[in-house]
Amino acid sequence: MKILVVEDSSSMRAYLTTIIEGGTESYDLEIVEAASGFEALKTLPHHRFDAILTDINMPDINGLELVSFLKNHPVYRSIPIMVISTESSDEDRRRAAALGAEEYLVKPFQAPDLVEKLRRLLKVA
Amino acid sequence: MAREDDRAKEEFTGEAEELLDTLSRDLVDFEAQGTSVRPELVNKIFREVHSLKGLAGMLGFVEISELSHNLEDMLDRLRMGKIAITKDLIDLLYDSVDSLNRLVIAINDPSLSGLVDITALARRIHQIITNQPAQKHEDPFTELTLDEQTKKSLTEYEEHRLLENVRAGKYILALEVTFDFTDFDERLRALTSSLADAGEVISTLPAIPADGVSGIAFRLLYGSTLNDAAVAALAPDAKVSSLRKTAAPAIARTEGTTAAPVVEPVAPVEEEMSLRSLSQTVRVDIAKLDHVMNIVGELIIEKTQLESLTRALSTQQARMASHELGKISRNLDRKLNELQKSVIEIRMVPVGQIYSKISRTVRKLARELNKEIELVLRGEDTELDKMMVEELTDPLMHIIRNALDHGIESAEERRAAGKNPVGKVTLTAYQQGNSVVLDVKDDGRGIDPELIRNVAAARGLIGEKESIDQQRAYELMFTPGFSTASAVSEISGRGVGLDVVKKNILDLKGTIDVVSKVGEGTTFRVSLPITLAIIQALIVEAGGEKFAIPLTSVEESLRIYSRDIRTVERREVFTLRDFTLPLLRLSDAFSMPDDHDHGPDTKWFVVVTRAGEKVAGILVNSLVRQQEVVIKSIGERLKTIPGIAGATEIGESEIVLVVDVGSLIDRFGGRAREVRAGVLVS
Repeated sequence: MKILVVEDSSSMRAYLTTIIEGGTESYDLEIVEAASGFEALKTLPHHRFDAILTDINMPDINGLELVSFLKNHPVYRSIPIMVISTESSDEDRRRAAALGAEEYLVKPFQAPDLVEKLRRLLKVA
Repeated sequence: MAREDDRAKEEFTGEAEELLDTLSRDLVDFEAQGTSVRPELVNKIFREVHSLKGLAGMLGFVEISELSHNLEDMLDRLRMGKIAITKDLIDLLYDSVDSLNRLVIAINDPSLSGLVDITALARRIHQIITNQPAQKHEDPFTELTLDEQTKKSLTEYEEHRLLENVRAGKYILALEVTFDFTDFDERLRALTSSLADAGEVISTLPAIPADGVSGIAFRLLYGSTLNDAAVAALAPDAKVSSLRKTAAPAIARTEGTTAAPVVEPVAPVEEEMSLRSLSQTVRVDIAKLDHVMNIVGELIIEKTQLESLTRALSTQQARMASHELGKISRNLDRKLNELQKSVIEIRMVPVGQIYSKISRTVRKLARELNKEIELVLRGEDTELDKMMVEELTDPLMHIIRNALDHGIESAEERRAAGKNPVGKVTLTAYQQGNSVVLDVKDDGRGIDPELIRNVAAARGLIGEKESIDQQRAYELMFTPGFSTASAVSEISGRGVGLDVVKKNILDLKGTIDVVSKVGEGTTFRVSLPITLAIIQALIVEAGGEKFAIPLTSVEESLRIYSRDIRTVERREVFTLRDFTLPLLRLSDAFSMPDDHDHGPDTKWFVVVTRAGEKVAGILVNSLVRQQEVVIKSIGERLKTIPGIAGATEIGESEIVLVVDVGSLIDRFGGRAREVRAGVLVS
């Protein structure tokens, strides 16, 4: 399985990757990282993703705009999305859901929460 | 998990430091732009704090997380236009960034924790937030025809910006573009930055292109002072449409059929609500200026060739042609000078830009050191090349830190010495010829050459019993390895010594000198060329090679004979009006074949050069002429050779090396003309 992690902070990306790798050792999981919305858009045609995790606050295009694009795209609309953002952006969380994001995770979160939501997203037990 | 935690901690500190560094620089811009700050900058600062908070929260750095959370809350209100920009707010931002910096440092050095009082900062933040009246929420969409998808994809902030633009009477436009998948990011960034001059790109929504078109489409929401026709001319690839329901926005519409973009005046009253106002200032990418500067440089080379052609033509037969050419050349010269001056001027910014930062740091340091300091800042309008100002900040701060930490005594000590208990540090910037001089003067304890000697001896820089004069003592302070352990206190930076300061200044083709008197104080004098690119130079010939010596470093030149040259302490010298002038030969400096010396009657020229307070004579065989040269950098291999600033073309495709007098004197020695302790001769 392949997942895309979109996050502009390199250490947050590294942290997410570490947690995901640690929590999903039993699956054959490949993580592709993107440091911005643009990078995400660029990398999309080259992979078949089973899930996408994205931050909201990013330069160029933000997470909501990315979700909007994906959920309106004939090919990508079926990829489940988890938006990861901070508690302060309550309104943005509502908007992410309205755009069709399947899961929402609030930073700071506990590692097991991320793993659990990811499993749900990937529909694996 | 422990090791993973360590790795995460390490990555976090690295990124946090980077973030805080960018943040500090953005704050300086923020303060400089004042109430007319660009919303994009406020949002950028918000995002930086937001990222920091997210990171800190994840990794359990409670204090950083809490402080950045409060800060983020305040910045969110700021970007949403709910609170105003005040001096208190700016001060608070600086103090907070400062505290965040300390907290990040304390992660790796627990002995430093407990130094930051985040509750006090939280109180101040709370105060600023609650002092502002609440604002009623308005719906920006009523006046617009906006499709559902775009509407839904706006973040709360973007919605706010849209509202501000609607309120300010801007044209609200939608731009649709389709780019190829290979380079959409670059092309979109180029488009966005060309739009930024006349408005604000509020949102960028990627979309699927129309049927049968490959690539990726974007829908940009743009608030602008330009109407749709003008924006269409600015962005020819885009489909532009207006989103306002009412035909005429609040700002006066220019009915024009011309394709050229028309910048329309915006009613100033409307601007009050917005963070943004249109100022007279144009922000120019320095790379573009560099490009123009390069063109000027190449033009100057062309001009030089024209001149040499004119000289070659001045025979009897071609006198008329030569005369005409001469006239053209002179006119070209005048125009070039004008162009050059104006380009240089565009690059200039007042050094006052960094003064605010300095005064804040001084205030903070004084508090920490428990010293009372009066800081006097002069000459803030003195202008310097933008790049130089940037590069200058760190070394200058270092010198000032030194003055506060080591120079100024404690209040008790000062009282005992019969001095005003309040220490005084004066930073003065002024222009002197083609240089900008910055003096950092303190009225502290001064530099005791004996102490320097002891430290230098202890560090093995000089012999145990070696005695040194004052000038040598000052020089030793700038030697690598001199910086004392006690100097590596938190105040004087992270173990960076004056040697690094000196290197930074030399890299800018500047000089640094120090004059001090025990008990009275110290002055550090930094002198920098106003710009680096084009200079007046004296072309000389030595050992069969031509060299260019920057005229700013030349004091005078005179003719002497070999018999006038004496040798003192194995050093060639020449007596110039009672002053013993040390001489240096370019052949020695650059390891070239020896100059031809044919006995005591051989004629020489001495070019008396100065770098900072030191002078030295350069011996050359002849003076060729004076001319303008464009300094080009030379390859990595020659870069390390001291004494060479670069290369230049002096016409007829002749390439010569440009002498860097500063590093030459530094390497081969010069002499201060007047060593009067405590007083700089100006």
